[in-house]
Amino acid sequence: MAASRLVNIITATDETARHTPIEAVCEGLSAEELLAECAALETFRRRAESLYHRVRALLFLYAIHRFHLPGRRGVSPQGRIPYEGYLRLAAGQFEEAIQLFLQVQAEEGPSAGLSSALAASYYRLGFHTLAGQVRRSVRTVRGNQWMFRMGHPLDHPLRVRPELLARDAGGARPILWERTPVRMDLTHCGWSDIFFLAMDFPEGAKVLNVSIDLGVHGRDPTPRPPVEAFFRVIDEPILRLVSVDLRAVAEIRDLAEAFDFGRDYLGLLKAAVIAAGLIPPGVEGSGCSLPDLLARLCGKGRGIELVSKVNDIPKGSRLAVSTSLLAALVAVAMRATGQTRSLTGGLDERERRLALARALLGEWLGGSGGGWQDSGGVWPGIKLITGVPAREGDPEYGVSRGCLLPRHHILGEKEAPREARRRLQESLVLVHGGMAQNVGPILEMVTEKYLLRSGPQWRARLEALGILDEILTALRRGDLRAIGRATTRNFFGPLQTIIPWATNLYTERLIDAARVRFGEAFWGFWMLGGMSGGGMGFIFAPEKRGEALEEMGPLMRGIKKELETALPFAMDPVVYDFAINEQGAQAKLLRGEEALMPLGYYTLTLPRLLRRERQELSPAQRTELDRFAAACRTRPEWSGAVRELFEVMLPRPAASEAKGKDLQSLLDELGFDRAQHEQIRADLRAGRIGLAQNRLPPNVRIEDVRPEDVVDALGWQEAESGEAAECRKAGEAALRAGQAAVVTLAAGAGTRWTQGAGVVKALHPFCKLAGKHRSFLETHLAKTRRIAREMGAPLPHVFTTSHLTHRPIEDALRRANCFGYEGPVLLSRGRSVGLRMIPTVRDLRFLWGEGEGEAIDDPQRKVTESLHAALVDWARKMGEAADYTDNAPGQCITPIGHWYEIPNMLRNGVLLSLLRERPQLKYLMLHNIDTVGADVDPALLGRHALEQAALSFEVIPRQLEDRGGGLARVDGRVRLVEGLAMPEEAIEFRLSYYNSMTTWIDIDRLLEVFGLDRESLADPDKVAEGVRAVAARMPTYITIKEVKKRWGRGQEDRYPVAQYEKLWGDMTALPELACRFFVVPRARGRQLKDPAQLDGWLRDGSAAYVERLGDWS
Amino acid sequence: MKIRKAVITAAGPDQRTLPLQTLIDRDGKAKSALRILAEEAAAAGIEECLVITHRGDAEAYREAVGDCRSWVRFQEQSEPLGYGHAAATAKAFVGGEPFLLMVGDHLYLSQTEERCAAQLVRAAEEAGRPVSAVQQTHESKLPYYGAAGGYPVRGKPGWFHIETVAEKPTPTEAEQTLLVPGMRAGYYLCFFGMHALPPAVFELLEEALAKAEDPRRVRLTDALASLVEREGCLAYEVRGRRYDIGVRYGVFTAQLALALAGTDKEFVLAQLADLLAQTLSGRDPRPASPAGAAD
Repeated sequence: MAASRLVNIITATDETARHTPIEAVCEGLSAEELLAECAALETFRRRAESLYHRVRALLFLYAIHRFHLPGRRGVSPQGRIPYEGYLRLAAGQFEEAIQLFLQVQAEEGPSAGLSSALAASYYRLGFHTLAGQVRRSVRTVRGNQWMFRMGHPLDHPLRVRPELLARDAGGARPILWERTPVRMDLTHCGWSDIFFLAMDFPEGAKVLNVSIDLGVHGRDPTPRPPVEAFFRVIDEPILRLVSVDLRAVAEIRDLAEAFDFGRDYLGLLKAAVIAAGLIPPGVEGSGCSLPDLLARLCGKGRGIELVSKVNDIPKGSRLAVSTSLLAALVAVAMRATGQTRSLTGGLDERERRLALARALLGEWLGGSGGGWQDSGGVWPGIKLITGVPAREGDPEYGVSRGCLLPRHHILGEKEAPREARRRLQESLVLVHGGMAQNVGPILEMVTEKYLLRSGPQWRARLEALGILDEILTALRRGDLRAIGRATTRNFFGPLQTIIPWATNLYTERLIDAARVRFGEAFWGFWMLGGMSGGGMGFIFAPEKRGEALEEMGPLMRGIKKELETALPFAMDPVVYDFAINEQGAQAKLLRGEEALMPLGYYTLTLPRLLRRERQELSPAQRTELDRFAAACRTRPEWSGAVRELFEVMLPRPAASEAKGKDLQSLLDELGFDRAQHEQIRADLRAGRIGLAQNRLPPNVRIEDVRPEDVVDALGWQEAESGEAAECRKAGEAALRAGQAAVVTLAAGAGTRWTQGAGVVKALHPFCKLAGKHRSFLETHLAKTRRIAREMGAPLPHVFTTSHLTHRPIEDALRRANCFGYEGPVLLSRGRSVGLRMIPTVRDLRFLWGEGEGEAIDDPQRKVTESLHAALVDWARKMGEAADYTDNAPGQCITPIGHWYEIPNMLRNGVLLSLLRERPQLKYLMLHNIDTVGADVDPALLGRHALEQAALSFEVIPRQLEDRGGGLARVDGRVRLVEGLAMPEEAIEFRLSYYNSMTTWIDIDRLLEVFGLDRESLADPDKVAEGVRAVAARMPTYITIKEVKKRWGRGQEDRYPVAQYEKLWGDMTALPELACRFFVVPRARGRQLKDPAQLDGWLRDGSAAYVERLGDWS
Repeated sequence: MKIRKAVITAAGPDQRTLPLQTLIDRDGKAKSALRILAEEAAAAGIEECLVITHRGDAEAYREAVGDCRSWVRFQEQSEPLGYGHAAATAKAFVGGEPFLLMVGDHLYLSQTEERCAAQLVRAAEEAGRPVSAVQQTHESKLPYYGAAGGYPVRGKPGWFHIETVAEKPTPTEAEQTLLVPGMRAGYYLCFFGMHALPPAVFELLEEALAKAEDPRRVRLTDALASLVEREGCLAYEVRGRRYDIGVRYGVFTAQLALALAGTDKEFVLAQLADLLAQTLSGRDPRPASPAGAAD
């Protein structure tokens, strides 16, 4: 095994050898040699003692199976994925899954399907191993360990400091007030602060991190430390947690509730309480009483109140607001319990490091996670944060190359002179672009690419390190123009080389607009955090910054307006005012008249107090009320408090009623079928339909198809003779004769694509192709253009739309002049909508109990379980199967499945007008918006024509990600079966082919099924009757989708909602319809459902394949 | 180095009555806690002892030491200015000699023939350096004691070089600064309530008092920290137990420990067994046998 080149790379002591990219080895190897490398890596990783050796071997194995083996000679495109292995993988039993997959590989030979399963298993195991190590390291940080040992209130070793227990003359207790700036990363460090990375490559983990005060431009008078935490002892044995920004209060009375992170919006505060040691993690599940624990901390009958405030800074600011808040909450609680030397003022270095370690612990407990620079605001000014190689005595020594915690070096006057700091503040405009996206997948991609050391990405990482040095030098000189140049180069160079998805069309349009508007005075762009679109920086010549401050807002809003149907925006963009904070975390003890919580706290908590008689209040409460009243009279910033309180106590009911009305009128306008809706509701409530009822009866025989059931068209694209060539000839003739048209299904809102944000998926500029961001819409037109030009005949292209997508697609096509496509482009407007419903508890339980249910680590599992419980309560409270109306109308209404798309073309006259204009039209190619590799391939069209079938469906050899049905023999008939209809999940794994949804349609034969012909298409009644008759024969599926509900400033909640669908694949079940099935290559038939697929799609050559299919001129 | 003087601090405003508590000692005789402590010192070869009391308490204490009156002196703290100040007032009594410092709210029970104070004095005389008696203590008890961090003296079990000291540390601080190699996780070397100190400690206490914004905050640990820096200190793990009679059920626990280690052990065990049986069964107690009750 020692001969393995990849193992040698992993174990190399020589740096250059260690950083050899995997491609350098794999590209020249045959399948047999690759499999030998896999065997060597598999043996090596099992024996390796170093955690990072193991992890790198796992990622190498992943990469070989994901990118190198499929397509190699000797590796079958299709192969059985054992269901048992899938179950193990889903349950997080990665080792067992790998063994099962390897066993099948040994018995049946390598296949692309098995490789997809092995790749997923190795990938997950790699990250699972890394996450485990970070967790262990967090626990072994000195100062954190004791909290995991404590298990009984009598053992609680912390006491609240006496200063916080003392009452003043009015009987009130003081409040400890912590203020913390947030951090910005002045260089963008190439995500080198990801723990996994920094712990393996501490030399490359470097960040220039600046603590800043913040204000929203035009709203706040001056920038100030945006993160505040308040701690007070109260006279009730409870833990009262208050988030002023989220408008949430929780009074926690038992221990289990304190560990219930998903129950409310206060998970972050709970995590802080636990990470600070007030309720040490060790007592979880001990059955101890919370009042006993609190009595130990602050005296019998007493409790603690913890209040958080982030000055309404919107979510997604990329300024690490959440982690800074966690650190501030941890710090205030640590100060209050004597875990820091000083109760007030700043923290010393040891204390700051401990606050960082505890914030990490809190992030782990709460199931979130950022980089190690995110608590940077606890430190003052500008600091260089660097990874630290592990040395003997460190808990990480011998396990990882680097330590968990980095080193913070605060830059002094020489390294960052006062003048440079002033210039930075005079040049930089910080903004929130309004997009809020999940950066989690990006962080995984970065880690993966680091571990694989792929050539360009690795060089980019080293280049980014060079840029950091450049920025440090420029900072020393106070040369902001040079900094701007460097950050811009970083963004367009190394950062996008490592992660192409760091940019997006919105950001690039903004940069262009800033360049056009400010010309030479625009010095540079700078990306903050995981990806662009949210928090970003624009650097201007100082004399223009004032103008830029005023103009960037309208500029961003203008571009957002153009793109908001295409990209997920969570809020309107804002511009910040900022100032470097030279103090870091600071605390003050508020006593006497000063001892007041923030204003928002009172609007949340006072209504309850005010409803009580004054004599029922404790002296402390009366004193506080008096002080609040006095503050309202004397503090100018509190002058609006009474009005605000009034609004809270007597809220206006208008908003929700108005929303209800909008929805109703929209439903009327869209021809919502109330009678059908009520029938579905009744069926759903009665249990006649539901997730369980979607399934075919268990006695139905479902088998895999036989070779003679399909047409193997896998190698057709390259074939120059034989059957493929003949078919191609026939297809080309049909195309030249104008017999074909394309139908792209574009009615969907890309629920999964944008996690329920409700944008038009067709318009999403998902990837740069041929040098520019292209939407799905443009990509499909580019392919049609190429075929039309090659054939010398126009090819009509129809996009089916829905109420959600019609207008935006129409506008986008008009604005872009159909992206220069010369042929006819038509829109087929959807006429069928459904109103979403609150799911039934039965269906929710079915979904969670039998869904993919990937086994997750303990803290995360608890979060998930408690979230599920909250959602069940929500469903009961709202009423099972009641109309879902508590959201923007667009989020309540839904298209009702792609089965209706073709009938819509019959009903809305689009097909009729096409046929009138082009009587020669005979065939349609129907495909999903996200099947980006589908085009009007002449060979496949020819085969369809020669088969004389009504419908020919394209299927692809199944891989692990292809879930949701497949091609099967159902009681002897070859047909497509939806995943929803599978009586048991295991059956799907026996099916070789997955439905790509791309369908070749013979128009006349299809019309026949509807009882129509070309002439009767003009008769709306007949059309309606035909559609109704076939619809009645199609099964109705209940599905549960997630929708986002937006509130506050950039906050989003996700709710499961029930909707019903009829699906196109079920047409294959109609006995009178002759259907054929073509097996096509994956690059052609694969659907892009989740942005996390994009990176692999780009790297495995699929993007290049699509690029080749299109004519982008 | 010979230690012949001892100082017992008992001036805390909240512990004024503790040394006066009557307990039955191991020999079956009723004594005040202060007398038991004085006898502990005497057994260590102490010839002169000074008890620092709260203002107005000296007389009651004098009564409480009984037969030890001849060699025990009393000195009242002029003002309640904290522990550091109280200890510092013993400077004149101690003079230029090393001395044994004990706290008035602890009682000790040795696990060997040699009593706890005697173990410490012998150890300090042997080492010729300041020595603090320590006990391995679970972190949950950290809020009650001062603690020392350091490392074991090679080849001498039970001896430690002290590097850091902290007064009532949080476990957070303890884990960062007070870890001692070789000890169980979650255990620290906490002070035993007796130290063998050089007279130089008074200077250090005075320095700390002069520097402090609030003299009441000055602890012995402040002076010990300076002493560690200046001349180095050792810790010695005494083979015995300390009982803090100032905590809830402290006197009761100390009494029980004394009784179970003394001549009335059988009787006390029988009483306990009876009490347990009654508690567990809910039945009325049988009349306790007076057998074994010496006087």
